[in-house]
Formats: sequence, C-alpha cells, structure tokens
Amino acid sequence: MRLHNDFIVHNDGEKTFLIPTGKAEFSGVVKGNQTFRDVAEILRNDVTEDEIIRIMRDKYDAPDGLIEHDVRKILDNLREIGAIID
Amino acid sequence: MTHIYKIAGKIIKITSLHEDIHEYCRDYSSEGKPDFAIETSQADIEFEREKSARENIAEGHEIINYSDGYLEELAIYRKISERMPAYDTFLFHGSVLAVDGLGYMFTAPSGTGKSTHAKLWCDFLGNRAIMVNDDKPLVKITGTKAIVYGTPFNGKHRRGNNISVPLRAICLLERSEANHIHKIMPSEAYTKLLQQTYRPLDPIALAKTLSLLDELMKRVNFYKLCCNTDIEAAKISYNAMKG
Repeated sequence: MRLHNDFIVHNDGEKTFLIPTGKAEFSGVVKGNQTFRDVAEILRNDVTEDEIIRIMRDKYDAPDGLIEHDVRKILDNLREIGAIID
Repeated sequence: MTHIYKIAGKIIKITSLHEDIHEYCRDYSSEGKPDFAIETSQADIEFEREKSARENIAEGHEIINYSDGYLEELAIYRKISERMPAYDTFLFHGSVLAVDGLGYMFTAPSGTGKSTHAKLWCDFLGNRAIMVNDDKPLVKITGTKAIVYGTPFNGKHRRGNNISVPLRAICLLERSEANHIHKIMPSEAYTKLLQQTYRPLDPIALAKTLSLLDELMKRVNFYKLCCNTDIEAAKISYNAMKG
C-alpha cells in the first residue's frame, strides 16, 4: 500500500497536515501528530502494514501492542478518506 | 474566441468557446507577448458542471442548472489558478479592501458575512476604502511582501477593481451578537487558511501553493473578528487591523 498521489504531506514547521489536491473526493484537511507524520512519510513508498509496524518499532520504544494499535488506526482513517492505494 | 488579458501581473491569452468570459474580463484587457495561454474545451465545461452539482448536493441544495458560458468562466479561472503557483501566486477565498494603499482581507466559509463586513468598511471609510476583490483574489508572494490583486473573478455582485496592494492583515470572520476582535498567532489561523486556499488538481502545484501559504504566514498580521452587521463592527475591526 502507499499514499495516493492526490494527497500531499505538508509540514508547516510545527504540525503535519495531509492535504488533498482538488482532484480528490475528500476535501478536508487532516492534522496529525508525530506518529501520523512518521506513518505518512513511510507511505510515500509501497509498503505493507507489517513493514510500517517494523519501521516504527525500530524508531520507538513503546509497550506491546501500542504501535500496532496506532498504526492500524491511522491506516483505517486514511483508507476512509481515500488517501491509500492498496 | 481569443483575447489577451493582464491578471495579477501576468499576460494571459484566453481562447474560449463562448463570449461570456471576454465580457467578464473586459477591464483586464491587455496586449503583448503572453506569459501563458489558456484554452477551454467542452470537457472542461462538463467538469465544472459535475463539480458544481456535487457541491450543491453536499450543501443540501437542489442542483443548479448553470449555463455553459458561466461554467466556462469557472473553468478558465481554474486553469489560471493551476498555472499561477509557478509565478509565486495563488488563489485565496476572501474579500479584500485597500485602505490608504494597504490591503485588508476577510476570510470565512461562504455565507458567513465577508462581503457584508467589507461593505461596512466602505460605509465607514467612504472613498478611502476601495474594493480590490470581493470573492477570490490572487495573492503573490515577493521577497518581503504579499501582494493582493483584483481579478475579473470577484463574486456575484462583481465588486472589485483592477488594482494591487501589499497585504497588511488577514482577518478570520465569525458571526456573533457582540463585536470583538483580537490579534492571533499565524499558527492559530493556519488550518482555516488552508481551507480557504485554492488547491490545484496537480500535486506539484499544490505543494508549491502550500509553500507559498507558509510564506504568507510570515508576511501579514492575523486577527479573529466576531461581529454583527452594525457599522460599529467596521470601526472596531479597522482600528485594530490598521495597527
């Protein structure tokens, strides 16, 4: 899976936003935290969910299950707005 | 039909299927070698028709049956707006006035009262206030400033002039019973400004637009105004924003 070309990840120096082009059906703006930013950056490449989790586990020390939960939640939200190509 | 216009400092050659756009852009007529050319097709008109229908449905309205000539005007402004980021210029949804050579912009979702408030400024300030663009001005980012331009695409009441001024302040507007304005940090305004910025269909042009918006944040002051339709609202907002 990867991020759809009609969505741009943009950092304004403080926060991360996922912003659709005028072509996308979704017309809102998604504002995210550092975890969201990391996952969105990983999704610039074609990756599996397991690969995302592995990369995030290498980067962060978190209790068992937390990274998996957060990644899954972000991916579900992104799928809902059409931001992911599976 | 083909004619040349100067919009936001760029010479644009426009070739259209219908005459409407040329009447619409009459005050911006120009000569010279075009910086770029725009040409429309029936497919462009149909794209605007479908987009308008989706927006009508999303807003809970009946689908409005616009003429091909009107839809072609939308298509042409969209095509212009797609090209302008390459010239450090982007389209913004707001009502902007010039007072004593400086621009003051009000932005909010449609129907909130931007045009109404801008008219109050005209009532309060008389000839000192000149409408630059009452709907969708173009904003150019230069080395140190943001310049806001009048364009032919200035809303249903056709309020605007073929002028440009440095932009001093942007005000987020909300309706309320009492009038109140305060200065806000750029970060507080960012999400709302994103929502009022034209997002190109092309991802590269969108990325450029977002970087221009980031530069805009460094060049103007930001305010939040809660207001009613009394002229007192204009007095309060002008006195705060002029600094």
